[in-house]
Amino acid sequence: MSVLNTLRRRAGVYGAIAAMVPKGFLAYSLWVWVELFTQVLSMAIMSFFWRAVYAGAGGGLIGGLTLQQTLNYVLLAQVLAPMVESRFIFHMGWMLREGQIAVDLARPVDMQARYGAENLAELLTDLTIKAPLLLVAWLLFGLQLPSNPLTWGAFFVALLLGRVVFFCFNWMFASLAFYTTETWGLSVLYEGVAKFFSGALLPLAILPGWLQTVADVLPFAQMLYVPVALLSGITPLSEAPRVWLIQLAWLVGTAVVSRYAFNFGLRKVTVQGG
Amino acid sequence: MRYLKLYGYFLTQRFKILMEYRVNFIIGAASTIVLQAAGLLTIWVVMSQIPSLNGWTLNELLLIYGLLTLAKSINHMFADNLWTFGWDYVRSGMFDRFLVRPIDPLFHLLADRFCHDGIGNFLVGAALLVTAWVGLAIPVTLLNLAYVVVAVLSGGLIFIALNLITAVSAFWILNSIAVTSVIFNTHEFAKYPLAIYPQAVGVLLTWLVPYGFASFYPASFLLGRDSSLIVWLAPVVAAVLMLLAYRFWRFGLRHYAGTGS
Repeated sequence: MSVLNTLRRRAGVYGAIAAMVPKGFLAYSLWVWVELFTQVLSMAIMSFFWRAVYAGAGGGLIGGLTLQQTLNYVLLAQVLAPMVESRFIFHMGWMLREGQIAVDLARPVDMQARYGAENLAELLTDLTIKAPLLLVAWLLFGLQLPSNPLTWGAFFVALLLGRVVFFCFNWMFASLAFYTTETWGLSVLYEGVAKFFSGALLPLAILPGWLQTVADVLPFAQMLYVPVALLSGITPLSEAPRVWLIQLAWLVGTAVVSRYAFNFGLRKVTVQGG
Repeated sequence: MRYLKLYGYFLTQRFKILMEYRVNFIIGAASTIVLQAAGLLTIWVVMSQIPSLNGWTLNELLLIYGLLTLAKSINHMFADNLWTFGWDYVRSGMFDRFLVRPIDPLFHLLADRFCHDGIGNFLVGAALLVTAWVGLAIPVTLLNLAYVVVAVLSGGLIFIALNLITAVSAFWILNSIAVTSVIFNTHEFAKYPLAIYPQAVGVLLTWLVPYGFASFYPASFLLGRDSSLIVWLAPVVAAVLMLLAYRFWRFGLRHYAGTGS
């Protein structure tokens, strides 16, 4: 009798655990599903588009890249692209307008560090949610992922470094909100520039020389193009240390400037009580 | 006729509001231009590397892109409210006010907010159309001009009809934006010649979500690539789809019981 009871209780516990799975899925808001669907759609369009492009080139190289390299690149970039969309300056503008920033500043933790921690957690959450897209891209659109774990490691390090650069640069740019109220327009402009020069739409290696120069002096490539080029086989693994060093230089530069810019702008802030 | 006059009133009021914030008006109208620029720059970079995409030159692709952008801008300017119908009108109960007024509630909903952000899209589309037209030396005949006007209007109606069909889901699930996005985003396929996709995609974009009539088919006609019946079907498809959408809207309306207070 007691065996039966134990069994029933066990079944109840595991049943509850199993029931968490669909609940977990439902907890994803509808938006996550819509975004995943849209990304699959974009991957389909991109893969057909680039196949047609290479057919037009007579099967040769474009910008020194083979069809497979380009396909790998655009598919992976498509998976990661939403992670380099930021309207942080708009958020900062809102915080200043609403006086919300006073609450953040009054907290006993460094405001930038706090947002930075959140930002990294967001990256990890996004990666988890987006991971199934890699499977879709592999099954349907011909994505080929590297089997060498070192390449994956190099990619993750570059992605992490790039993310911090991105965060610091966003922070620096958002400090403009201390001086203008047109943060919506600035955020849209920023989004457009970031989208193109991060390499979300095409591998930057294909750009003509002068555009490549522009891409090099902007930090956006560090966030998307640099890590994805490693994973898609455009940048060989042996280059990884050099890539990381460049990213580190960007990191130090943007971190210093962002702190200075923020603290400098902060002196202008007056939040009225109410 | 009465509705035309009413729309005029709505538009005047809307512009009075917009002119209160002039800089925001200009930024909103220009914002779409920036986002379009990234996509166009990509096409330009790619096409400077190859002679043609499946037999289509850069100017021919821009023609497709321009026609699609123009059709989309009509939807953006005059029917943007369909996007937020569930969230801003049904959920808040604001829609109930429309129901007790002596004008058609759908008309009221559409006229309620002219969206100035669409102006940027319209300008980009028009600029692309003119550039491609001149670059391709398409003859400026009365027929071609009339054809383009009808094609763009039909394309715009196709966009509006599909958004209306999906927006009706708000009567049941409130958060209709998700449903609208899913269908609306398939228009991205129509930015390129349908011939680069597998046949199934072409069929889908022609008969199920007929965005192809807003870009690929009219471009094929203007370039003399296709003279079959299908290039003349855009107004018919738009009319049928609009009728279906309106019927569906009426159906949803009959089942609408309000959201309570």
